[in-house]
Amino acid sequence: MTANVKQEPLRLGFLTAIEIPEKGFVGGLLVTNHNGRPLEFQCTVPIKPNPTQEILYGPTLSPFILGELIGTTLVERAGVKPQLILTDQAQILELRNHIDRPVALVEAGAQENASSTPGARKAIRLGRQVIQFHPAHDTDSATVTRDSQQVPVDADLQEPFERVREALQETMKSGALR
Amino acid sequence: MDELTPLPSAPATAGLTTDSFDEQRQAELRAAAEALRAQVEIYSSGMNVALNRFPKLRTVEVPVGVPEVPLVKWRPTWPRVKTVTLTFPAGFDFLPPPPPPKKEESGAAAELIPVKPPAAPAPVDGTAPPKKATRIKPPADAISIEDRLFYLLQPPLESWLKGQELIMPFEPFPYQYEGIAWLFSQKAALLADEMGLGKTMQTITAIRLLLRAGQARRILLVCPKPLIPNWQREFKTWAEEIPVVTIEGDGARRQMLWTMPGVTVLLANYELLVRDMEAFGEQAPQFDLAILDEAQRIKNRDSRTASTARAIPRKRTWALTGTPIENRPEELASLYEFMEVIPPHASPDVRQLSQLAKTFILRRTKDLVMKDMPPRLDRDEFLDLSPAQRLAYDAAEKEGVVQLNELGESISIQHVFELVLRLKQIANFDPLTGESSKLERVEADMEEIAECGGKAILFSQWTGTIDWLQEKLARFSPLVYHGKIPTPKREPILKKFKEDPKASLLMMSYATGAVGLNLQFAGYVFLYDRWWNPAIEDQAINRAHRIGQKSKVIVTKFISKDTIEEKINRVLDEKRRLFAAVLGEGEETNVSLSMNASEIFGLFDLKARNGKGTKSIKPQAPAA
Repeated sequence: MTANVKQEPLRLGFLTAIEIPEKGFVGGLLVTNHNGRPLEFQCTVPIKPNPTQEILYGPTLSPFILGELIGTTLVERAGVKPQLILTDQAQILELRNHIDRPVALVEAGAQENASSTPGARKAIRLGRQVIQFHPAHDTDSATVTRDSQQVPVDADLQEPFERVREALQETMKSGALR
Repeated sequence: MDELTPLPSAPATAGLTTDSFDEQRQAELRAAAEALRAQVEIYSSGMNVALNRFPKLRTVEVPVGVPEVPLVKWRPTWPRVKTVTLTFPAGFDFLPPPPPPKKEESGAAAELIPVKPPAAPAPVDGTAPPKKATRIKPPADAISIEDRLFYLLQPPLESWLKGQELIMPFEPFPYQYEGIAWLFSQKAALLADEMGLGKTMQTITAIRLLLRAGQARRILLVCPKPLIPNWQREFKTWAEEIPVVTIEGDGARRQMLWTMPGVTVLLANYELLVRDMEAFGEQAPQFDLAILDEAQRIKNRDSRTASTARAIPRKRTWALTGTPIENRPEELASLYEFMEVIPPHASPDVRQLSQLAKTFILRRTKDLVMKDMPPRLDRDEFLDLSPAQRLAYDAAEKEGVVQLNELGESISIQHVFELVLRLKQIANFDPLTGESSKLERVEADMEEIAECGGKAILFSQWTGTIDWLQEKLARFSPLVYHGKIPTPKREPILKKFKEDPKASLLMMSYATGAVGLNLQFAGYVFLYDRWWNPAIEDQAINRAHRIGQKSKVIVTKFISKDTIEEKINRVLDEKRRLFAAVLGEGEETNVSLSMNASEIFGLFDLKARNGKGTKSIKPQAPAA
């Protein structure tokens, strides 16, 4: 008789950022359980690049600020560590190069695929959406597939980003991020 | 002259050999050297010889002085990013979800729509219709950003309640989702939905969410004693995982139950609440949430019940009632005081009451939210009294009015009231002959209802009338439910009425049967006599006309022609209109929904001597 191995509850991190005019980028990470119930929320103060940074970083500025600067900070400081980080902004996928856990893009209209075309993002279905992984981290999709059964098949993975955006707006409105 | 050092040979070029090239270069250099010779005269002093020497050439290094180029160094350093963190409290550990209820055990709510199993994955091309999501909004009085974010970041109720953590046995209606979300976020709330819209289910579900979200661990729910079995049943249906303990038994046992650790929901009736809380004194147990069902019980803020309820140590306060105003809008002040939204003894005016209502009261009516609910068809049956009834009625009225007039200035509302009751009883049936035009009509209707398998509820003010009818209507096997029926026997009566196809008639007193019961399988309601307050009549009718009702509900109100009942009916109709005005958009400010002294005197064209007050005419507390 084999003992049942208790699966560790899956924790999802929903990471997104908004740009506040005149103030810069604000990022938020909502860590939930597999049913979307919140466990922890973290957000950054606004980060505004100066003109020199804008010129010198060029097109790499957004991936740097969103993925590396905001994303890494939020994930590193999270008290409740998510096993999978989901984002709805492609630039944030850059975060995967700086942390040791899978990062996936939840994108409307994305198609599931199993192809390994070089440079193509690998995609799998999770809940009602298809999520895509960083092309440089091929094994992430297999890692996530293993735990993905905990997520209900009708879970809407776009919805939590709305919550994060609302929370960021509310936090900015309150002046807590000055 | 010094020999010139031959110059390094130049590379060969087309048309010239190396030797001829060198000779040519040497010749050119010699010619150049000749040109450099100084053309001098020889002087007699002989000092000019040195001038013929070839000049010595020396080179001297002179620093050019190149200016330093300024160098700007830039390194991509960014300031340390500051973050703000909110950690959510750990939730209540529920028991594993129970198996779905069996159909035969699902109680009255079995008529509701079952939740469908999880849907197949929706298409991702955006063609799926967007589902409505009910989001929890931060309450108006939540000021700290942590409080506001706590509510903002909760998932939409639809997904939360369909998740694996909180299985709902039946799909709530959209307005119920809104009510649940509202209750969840309110520290002080008065849920005043019209009867039959599911206040019980909304409350239980909001409790589940609070427990799940770690916002409450110990909850007290107080309700009238007859409704205790109803709450127990509803908790079993909607939240089987929540342990519910009912306060009952002798003093020592109750003391133990009140303070027993690990109890999540305590269910108590008003009488025991008052008795036991007074016994506790300053040592009353603490609750995260206190809920009063049928909260109009504390409308009199000076009553023991009201003051005891206000003294319950608690963090959150909810009140439930379908009739937040039974008599006067000022009754709301007592509820507000319990909810701690006004200071003790405050007397807010109507404008202030209305303003507070926007924040702390949620009221929906069937007309607004249940557009697809089967209609309620009211019919006023004006019946002629039977000859014997007419004789008895006229005699009693004549004699009564004469007596009232003879009382002169000493007449009181009690005298008038006694005459009204006497006449109403004769309109129900003649005590001497047993004749009753209402009985004949009920018999006729019941023949038809029983024939087609329908079920009817009959309400009367008097237990005596009900007992009399039980005998007369024996062939319909009527069931009786009123204050004289012991509490343990009441639940089986309701069960039999629901399940026994032969039990087609349930007769109830307004006092006992008007509130809290789910009898939506009955399609007919008879108001054998009229209550004094349209709100109470509506409560009675709504036992049948509520969620889960599948067919129209026919409500028959018996009114004996040319009797006191006709006059009362006119007053009640007017009251009903005013009730709608106060709780709707109207601006009526001093409406008494019960009949006041002036109105009762007016029934006999008498003038009230002290007609300012309101005669309290309400269902008596049911017998234990």
